[in-house]
Amino acid sequence: MYDILIVGAGGGGLYAAMEAIHKNPQAKIAVVSKVYPPRSHTSAAQGGVNAALANKHKDDTIELHTFDTIKGSDYLADQDAAAYLCEMAPKVVRELENLGAPFSRFPDGSIAQRPFGGANRHRCCYCADKTGHTILQTLYEQALRMGVEFYNEYFLLSLEHQDGACNGVVVMSQRNSKVMAIPAKAIIMATGGYAKMYWHKSSNAAGLSGDGQGVALRAGIGLKDMEFVQFHPTGLRKSGLLVSEAARGEGGYLINNKGERFMSNYAPEKMELGPRDLVSRSIEMEIRHGRGFESAAGSFIKLDLTHLGKDLIMARLPQIRELAIDFEGVDPIKEPIPIRPTAHYSMGGIDCDVSTRTEMKGLYAVGECAAPSVHGANRLGGNSLLEILVFGKRAGLELQNDLPTLKPRSMNERVAVERQERRLAQFYQPDHHERLDVLRNEMGKTLGENVGIYREKKNLSKGVEEIAALRERFKKIKVHDNSRVFNTNLQQVLELQNMLDLAACVSQGALAREESRGGHSREDFPKRDDANWHKHTIAKFNAQGEVELSHKPVTMGLYPLEERTY
Amino acid sequence: MEQRRELTFKIRCFNPEVDQEPHYKNYNVELEQGITILRAINYIKDHIDPSLTVRFFCQAGICGSCAVKVNGVSKLACTTQVWDEIPLAEVEGTIVIEPLANFKVIRDLVVDIDPMIQKLKNHKAWVVPTTADEKMGEKEVAVQPEEFERINAATDCILCASCYSECSLCEVSPNFISPLVMLKTFRMNDDKRDTINDERLEIANHDGGIWDCTHCYRCVEVCVKNIPIMDAISGLRHESLQKNHDYTDGARHALAFKQDIEQGPGRLREITLPLRTLGPVGAISQIPFAVSMGLKGRVPPMFPHTAKDHDGLKRSILKYRKDHPKDKE
Repeated sequence: MYDILIVGAGGGGLYAAMEAIHKNPQAKIAVVSKVYPPRSHTSAAQGGVNAALANKHKDDTIELHTFDTIKGSDYLADQDAAAYLCEMAPKVVRELENLGAPFSRFPDGSIAQRPFGGANRHRCCYCADKTGHTILQTLYEQALRMGVEFYNEYFLLSLEHQDGACNGVVVMSQRNSKVMAIPAKAIIMATGGYAKMYWHKSSNAAGLSGDGQGVALRAGIGLKDMEFVQFHPTGLRKSGLLVSEAARGEGGYLINNKGERFMSNYAPEKMELGPRDLVSRSIEMEIRHGRGFESAAGSFIKLDLTHLGKDLIMARLPQIRELAIDFEGVDPIKEPIPIRPTAHYSMGGIDCDVSTRTEMKGLYAVGECAAPSVHGANRLGGNSLLEILVFGKRAGLELQNDLPTLKPRSMNERVAVERQERRLAQFYQPDHHERLDVLRNEMGKTLGENVGIYREKKNLSKGVEEIAALRERFKKIKVHDNSRVFNTNLQQVLELQNMLDLAACVSQGALAREESRGGHSREDFPKRDDANWHKHTIAKFNAQGEVELSHKPVTMGLYPLEERTY
Repeated sequence: MEQRRELTFKIRCFNPEVDQEPHYKNYNVELEQGITILRAINYIKDHIDPSLTVRFFCQAGICGSCAVKVNGVSKLACTTQVWDEIPLAEVEGTIVIEPLANFKVIRDLVVDIDPMIQKLKNHKAWVVPTTADEKMGEKEVAVQPEEFERINAATDCILCASCYSECSLCEVSPNFISPLVMLKTFRMNDDKRDTINDERLEIANHDGGIWDCTHCYRCVEVCVKNIPIMDAISGLRHESLQKNHDYTDGARHALAFKQDIEQGPGRLREITLPLRTLGPVGAISQIPFAVSMGLKGRVPPMFPHTAKDHDGLKRSILKYRKDHPKDKE
């Protein structure tokens, strides 16, 4: 029996573990992760983390950061959560710095800050273009220092609960496929996002399958604003891999086939540093109107860094240069990089409030798997690393007060384990025949075509139907690998189930929301409709495993609704 | 149009449930140019053999999960182009994939990296901050750009373990600190925000520590992030001698070389080298080894070659000493 069990070992999970140990030194705490902690997807965040340190612009303030975040969210962010995010930003970034995170520096020795999309000041703290990697390494180093107990390479199967309170989780060890229950008084879910459901059109790691959201959904917990998926403007043409916003932050241009910096038509003031939803739509529009470049790997736009010069690229964007060379055969010092938008970030997630508490007693959610909601309909670059730090810390902090109120609960471990063992055994039945790779590709394809950057009723209905059909076919999916040792075939099937269940929430939420807001852009409803749709979507499973939608008001109080222009 | 061709992937497989020994499986696939080794492996997994097992995650060269040996060299499967490996194949058209060396294989291409994590712990590869707990997050520690620059390259390390797999010392000595842990030790010790510099250095000087490295440079050659790991190793040795960690065989061995350069006749005085490195007892214990070497004809030359212009080198050292009075070694 653990007092606190953290699921996920990215930045959010590790920060939660660190804070939980600091604040609850007597508690028994462990971290479960399906990968070794330094493999977590936090490592892939390149550009940086926002905090109004005012190291560059002395007039930057927490209020300006809060306003940029709320405006960036197209006013769907809960304003108390956004304010907390920005208020805590300087403290957590300095704390991380104190713990040894290697930030790039200004000549006076302070943390360097660069401009980032949708922000009115140079606010993004960075370490070259490896910010997430160095933050994750720093947190992992500190976790090793503190002797955090890790269950590495354990896959989350279910969230166990009774009478509205959680009892623990059931997990499977990848080493030997053993299914086991881990009872715990409190669970902090920190499993990352779900944008890998777009499969080949995603910048995400292979395992960003929304495992925490999937088990929460099946445990009857509501997921918030799932239809809001962020497409990053600059994925590499062939692979969808990410070219950080830092490339534009440092001065990169977006160029169409007429050689124009076309962003002047969409965001004349901010140009390439408009918010991500706007820049992605602009690129898509250029391509639709025949102003993209054509290639066997599809249409694309060019990201030109050549005018920045070799020295700047080598000093501040070295990983991006390597990626462009490795995956496109293009050296950005010499020629522009072929790019197209790629599914990148899930604004939606487990419904929770600013305290990270969810509707289930004892269950907390942080980071990309949660929706407190600070990003609303569109996240600003540099706010995702910030969110995992601030809310990871908040969860640990909350448990200082909550832990004494959470009573140890009895969990019928045998029943819970057997239920999961039966579920796994299903995949080996002789009448099962559906192929993992086929279903997965079809899922990515239908989401990309029908629930992509631009959406409208006919396509969305098709997407909803096709996802429903895929979920039906999933019931006959086959696991071919019979081994109990490191069975990645089985794990990938379980991940697909999570992605398909969440895809139902994404597609149905998108079909229902008849307006355009942030990352959700309806061609048949091109305007934001505050009268009818200034509210959160909550998706829940009913007893039949069908999605049911309801709504929740947006917490306001700081900045009134305004038209959003850049 | 991009090129397509038929290739054979010869992959070393091992499943402890059924196999006594690892064995190679051949997979024939037709692939197009531009595909990475990881995508090729996953193509095989999706279309030919679902049991084929490899770790992978970010697919963008930053998480460090997918390091394997490709044509005998440890590297990341996700950033390695198949077409770049074709000319390196020993057998035309056959690309050999094996798990990393120097680790226990769990299954196929998946190895147990726990010993590496344990070494990070043993060597305290973390910063113990100068900032007190209650002052955490209040203000930044000023770090000059040049101070950041000293550790910058070392912070590129993604713990992919390619260097560990290629290290000639890790191969024969499982307790050896390993290149990446030396790199981490250097990175922590050169961070002005850290407070346990001396303790960490002391641990790195133990048996199996920094003096055991043989300078084979394999780690530098294979590092997927092109980190100059040897600079970190020599940096640690330099720091050790500065701080009087001169009590290990390794340190004394290095000091004996230095003595001969500074005071010797222009050649290494090999006869007294064991005595100077190991002390009288240690030197005596090496006699049987020396005899067996001698019997096999491995003896120092009777008339050793003397370095030309050795006096010039001595003068340079003297001048350096004069210019850098604080640098003890």
